[in-house]
Amino acid sequence: MLRTDINELLAQAGPGTPMGDLFRRYWQPVLLAEELPENDCPPVRVKVLSERLIAFRDSEGRYGLMDEFCAHRGVSLWFGRNEEGGLRCPYHGWKYDVTGQAVEVPSELASSNFCANVKLKGYPMAKRGDVLFAYLGDPAAQPPLPEWEAYTVPDGQVFTSKRLQECNWLQALEGGIDSSHVTFLHGGNLESDPLFKGSKGNEYNKGDLKPFFEVVDYEGGLLIGARRNAEEGMYYWRVTPWVLPNFTMVPPRGDHPVHGHFWVPIDDENCWAYSFDYHPTRQLTEAEVAAMRAGKGVHSANDASYRPLANKDNDYLMDRESQKHGENYSGIEGIALQDSSLQESMGPLVDRTKERLVATDAGIIKARQKLYKAVKALQDGVEPTGNRAKDQKVRSVAIVLPADQSFVEGIGEAMVAEPAKPHTSV
Amino acid sequence: MSHHDHDHDHASGPRSVPAGLSSCAEAATAKEAAYRIDYPLSAARNTRVVALDDEAERIVRSAALLDWGQARFFSITDPGEVLAEVGASDVPLDKVMTDTNTVVMVATSGENATAVAAIGDLARERGIMTAGLVVAPGALTSDALFHLRPHARILLVPAEEDDLIELLRATRA
Ligand code: FES
Ligand SMILES: [Fe+2]
Repeated sequence: MLRTDINELLAQAGPGTPMGDLFRRYWQPVLLAEELPENDCPPVRVKVLSERLIAFRDSEGRYGLMDEFCAHRGVSLWFGRNEEGGLRCPYHGWKYDVTGQAVEVPSELASSNFCANVKLKGYPMAKRGDVLFAYLGDPAAQPPLPEWEAYTVPDGQVFTSKRLQECNWLQALEGGIDSSHVTFLHGGNLESDPLFKGSKGNEYNKGDLKPFFEVVDYEGGLLIGARRNAEEGMYYWRVTPWVLPNFTMVPPRGDHPVHGHFWVPIDDENCWAYSFDYHPTRQLTEAEVAAMRAGKGVHSANDASYRPLANKDNDYLMDRESQKHGENYSGIEGIALQDSSLQESMGPLVDRTKERLVATDAGIIKARQKLYKAVKALQDGVEPTGNRAKDQKVRSVAIVLPADQSFVEGIGEAMVAEPAKPHTSV
Repeated sequence: MSHHDHDHDHASGPRSVPAGLSSCAEAATAKEAAYRIDYPLSAARNTRVVALDDEAERIVRSAALLDWGQARFFSITDPGEVLAEVGASDVPLDKVMTDTNTVVMVATSGENATAVAAIGDLARERGIMTAGLVVAPGALTSDALFHLRPHARILLVPAEEDDLIELLRATRA
């Protein structure tokens, strides 16, 4: 694959683009459930995969996601009245149900069947855990609802936040796959952040700053193993799964909740990072949830529209003192903003013809190649992986193994999510 | 973290104040990205690709047919001491490992473990980056993997044949 192809084929996910077609084979997070908190609440604008949509929750609690603009004269239904089982355009009163079907066109005679022929394009949307997922693709190819472990655990065991990132989704995803930046960029956070500190694994991290990597190809995507020296004859492994097309999970630390991300294209120059923390076997504690809400761990402190408070308009609150003294390697506070500030600084869509990749970028190189092959295969009628339960029931793992053992063999079933099964973490 | 915490943590530290054209908001736009200066990047990798067995040699030979900057391709002849350069003559390992900064080893079986160790030792001594591709079904438990593991900073397992080409292309070899 040539570098120009990456931007042309992989970065753009709008309707009718090759990558856009691939994305439209997956349920994607489009809202936090808190954005549609109750029946008949205000509708919310959603832009995803370069489509302008409106989401609402009707009087019976059904979720709808459809074309943002009224079929009559193109008014945004954001101004709509959400009432009595549908969303009504305030201009001339046309009313739509959650599927986008017009159910009332007041200007027509009561006996007319005009409205039966008016339908806004609509997509299925479903609540899983604290997130609303939608499927924007061909109904005939619709996969079953997502089975990510984070969204199948009991209430109280998961917390999801979202954050606007002002660059192309692929830049953000590549950051999630690029394990070699962690020692540098996030090195200062291991012991200061309440959601990471105190694990045995942190000591291995600090004891060996030059990890080796093994990138393992598996059906759903890649498993990226970062290996550090542990006790004599043993390795400490941190295993990051990437599942096609845009899901990554961070290896756990101690008994802390486990985190991961979806990198969801808004348009070609913006994406949402949906960042979750869950614990497979216990409720999140109040202190943990408070820390997550405050933007610790992989989360960020945001304004009401989910844009981080530290953003490019205030130079991400760059603190040169902290950069100099090493509390924060880049001078930016918090993992999430450390990543997004740098990824946004590349420009909304980085020019990959100017990259100088090195061998340790092999994970990124391989992921691009897998995306490219999935895009091409779909064009030939071959359905992708990553949208089936067996690909999604995956766990990240942190483990100490004998030096002569394959990490995949060593972690074995620990990689497979099962209800109430403790996770494997160091 | 909240803005408030931040102030609290570094009450005395001066914080950079966004300054016009030099601020992130101005700089990180598509329009400004167009002003990134344009000049040829030097292809200074001097990558060496080493096939560790016969099947690997087939893969390496076919990659060698493509157009590369400074990459050179080898197979093993006398374990540990001499390598055969594709389309050229034999070269002592010590020479192969001179003036290079990346060695990519390709294996499909567990042969030539001594050569792997010799390459690995020289690479460590001379600060040369090592990568390994294990192109083999069942690669996860193969000898090829275990021989390469101590000596390759990054391993692709299982790798596909075209991963070699992709890796070389992406690293401008
Ligand atoms: S060191 Fe990796 S982008 Fe600069
Ligand atoms: Fe990061």
